[in-house]
Amino acid sequence: MLKIKNLHVSIEGKKILKGFSLDVNAGEIHAIMGPNGTGKSTLAAVLAGKEGYEITDGTVEFEGLNILELEPEERARLGVFLAFQYPVEIPGVSNANFLKAAVNEIRKSKGLDNILPNDFLKMIREKMELVEMSKDFISRSVNQGFSGGEKKRNEIFQLAMLDPKLSILDETDSGLDIDALRIVANGVNKLRTSNNAFIVITHYQRLLEYIVPDIVHVMYDGKIVKSGDKNLALELEEKGYDWVKELDNVPAN
Amino acid sequence: MNIDTLKEYTPKVIESTRQNSLMQAIALGIPSMKNEEWKYTYYNKILQQGFAPTYTPATVNIKKDFIDKHSVSGNNIVFLNGIYQPELSSLKPSAGVVFTNTANTSEQISNDFLIELNNAFATDGLYLEISDNVILTDLIEVLYIQSNTSGIIQHRNKIKIGKHAQVSLAEYYISYDNLPVYVNNVTHIEIDERAIFDSYKIQDGGEVFYITEQTFVQQAKNSTATVNTFSLSGAITRNVLQFDSQDERTLSNMNGLYLLKKNEHVDNRTLVNHNAPNCESNELYKGIIDGNAVGVFNGKIRVAQEAQKTNAFQSNRNILLSEDAAIYTKPQLEIFADDVKCSHGATIAQIEESELFYLQARGIGKDVARGLLVYAFAGELLEKIKHEALKLSLKKRIADLLNIEI
Ligand SMILES: Nc1ncnc2c1ncn2[C@@H]1O[C@H](COP(=O)(O)OP(=O)(O)O)[C@@H](O)[C@H]1O
Ligand SMILES: [Mg+2]
Repeated sequence: MLKIKNLHVSIEGKKILKGFSLDVNAGEIHAIMGPNGTGKSTLAAVLAGKEGYEITDGTVEFEGLNILELEPEERARLGVFLAFQYPVEIPGVSNANFLKAAVNEIRKSKGLDNILPNDFLKMIREKMELVEMSKDFISRSVNQGFSGGEKKRNEIFQLAMLDPKLSILDETDSGLDIDALRIVANGVNKLRTSNNAFIVITHYQRLLEYIVPDIVHVMYDGKIVKSGDKNLALELEEKGYDWVKELDNVPAN
Repeated sequence: MNIDTLKEYTPKVIESTRQNSLMQAIALGIPSMKNEEWKYTYYNKILQQGFAPTYTPATVNIKKDFIDKHSVSGNNIVFLNGIYQPELSSLKPSAGVVFTNTANTSEQISNDFLIELNNAFATDGLYLEISDNVILTDLIEVLYIQSNTSGIIQHRNKIKIGKHAQVSLAEYYISYDNLPVYVNNVTHIEIDERAIFDSYKIQDGGEVFYITEQTFVQQAKNSTATVNTFSLSGAITRNVLQFDSQDERTLSNMNGLYLLKKNEHVDNRTLVNHNAPNCESNELYKGIIDGNAVGVFNGKIRVAQEAQKTNAFQSNRNILLSEDAAIYTKPQLEIFADDVKCSHGATIAQIEESELFYLQARGIGKDVARGLLVYAFAGELLEKIKHEALKLSLKKRIADLLNIEI
């Protein structure tokens, strides 16, 4: 589904990603772990198409298509979804109007008519249940005045509404208490199918107890330095991130 | 038109008051950009379109369904090219409401060219008198419909609101055929004690519609007046809005939204004269400026020495959507009292990139995403509309202009 080869990315001349490679197939959950400042969010932003990044080398293919030249909305319509580490507050735009626009824009790109108001409401109700959003949520402005946990749940709620093929969760667990963490993980587990895939970026092993990854990658200084099964997360938790720095000196597999 | 054209009219104007006004207009001369009040608006550009004063404007046949399409309350007074149209109007008769069509021109000579032009030539207008204690729930609508005329169309309006009365009025500037037209309106409003008056001005005449209008509001003790100005389309629009607070505890609200694109130009000039103690004024103007369009905002608050305990707030916020868009904004506070609370602020911003990206990342195209953000910015002013049908109709219109669905 996703093939990243030797990706090099700079911001304002500063090298952030330094030969990042990753293959993700449908049905898989990949975890990417690594210390702060390693380039995890940069990777997520580059995949989603945020401006301001200089791609100096490498390729990114999504379902055989080079997506690096595409606008963010075009990538989203193809089925790439980024759950933001820091969801943006948008005063004055209601969640309802926002989601209706998103659903309809994606439908339009597939040659479908606008969703019927009743179907839309039904869909919202169903997906809100999934992440246990309160009822007033839909009339509130996007993320405005939301608690940290609500913002993260809103990301998963949007994920459920848009039903993407590839979801990138950027530290969705950070700032969540254990209950919220369970809600979010439950949501993801219910949305998981053999046709979609997830990249779960996290700092802590904790989330991976709930969302069990097929493959764990350790990232350091802009690239993957080690990959393994879910036990790698435990090993990392035990040995700490200093261990990762040592790994960086041996060539990645 | 130029000053020589005006001179040619002098033998034709018989009434002495009109003659005096015409002479004064000629003496004052056409407003020039050298005049501080006209610094950013080139008045001659309007006249260069070939407009000239007239007592006999052209007329056309307009169908009733055109009126229905533009009226949300069905309670309306229709003017076509400056002339009242009884057969097209449908003002519901109501006790304590007096309406006549008479131009209430003034015999006093002013120092304003456009007022004198209006004095000299306005032949029709709205005269509305609401008796004491009358509370009207139906919005009264005034439709200024213009159709293919080179005549300068001038309405002269006077509105009197009695004690404890409550009235809402919406004025619409409408083009029938999208051909160039110019309207120069002057309106005087007197609001008596404890009355509440809401005014909505909807300027949406299209790309070749020119407007200069001046509204003067006089408020008696404990009265509340709110004027909401929505400038949605138009070539050049210049709105002068003046509030005179004559006695204690008046509340004056001024709200404005201007949505400009291409080469459109809107100049909003407001003045609040606080002459008595314990009064309040609130002003919020918001602009969204795209293309090569230009916005001008000048908000003056004058607090006289005896107007102690005045609260006066003013805010002008703008979003520029293109590199060639411009806004000239200037607050002017003249405060002679010492115990007052006054604040003003002006902001000029662009669309927030992080917000735009967030929306795009959900599959929303850049244009629609911008539209949603602009609509959100405008929302604060739309929410101030008290009449639901009018609010809905303006929301739809603005969503349309922004190519979004709501
Ligand atoms: N907009 C930016 N401008 C300059 N440097 C940035 C910017 N965004 C991120 N960086 C830098 O890039 C590096 C990687 O950041 P990030 O991708 O956020 O790491 P992580 O998500 O792994 O914590 C950090 O050193 C950070 O300071
Ligand atoms: Mg990060």
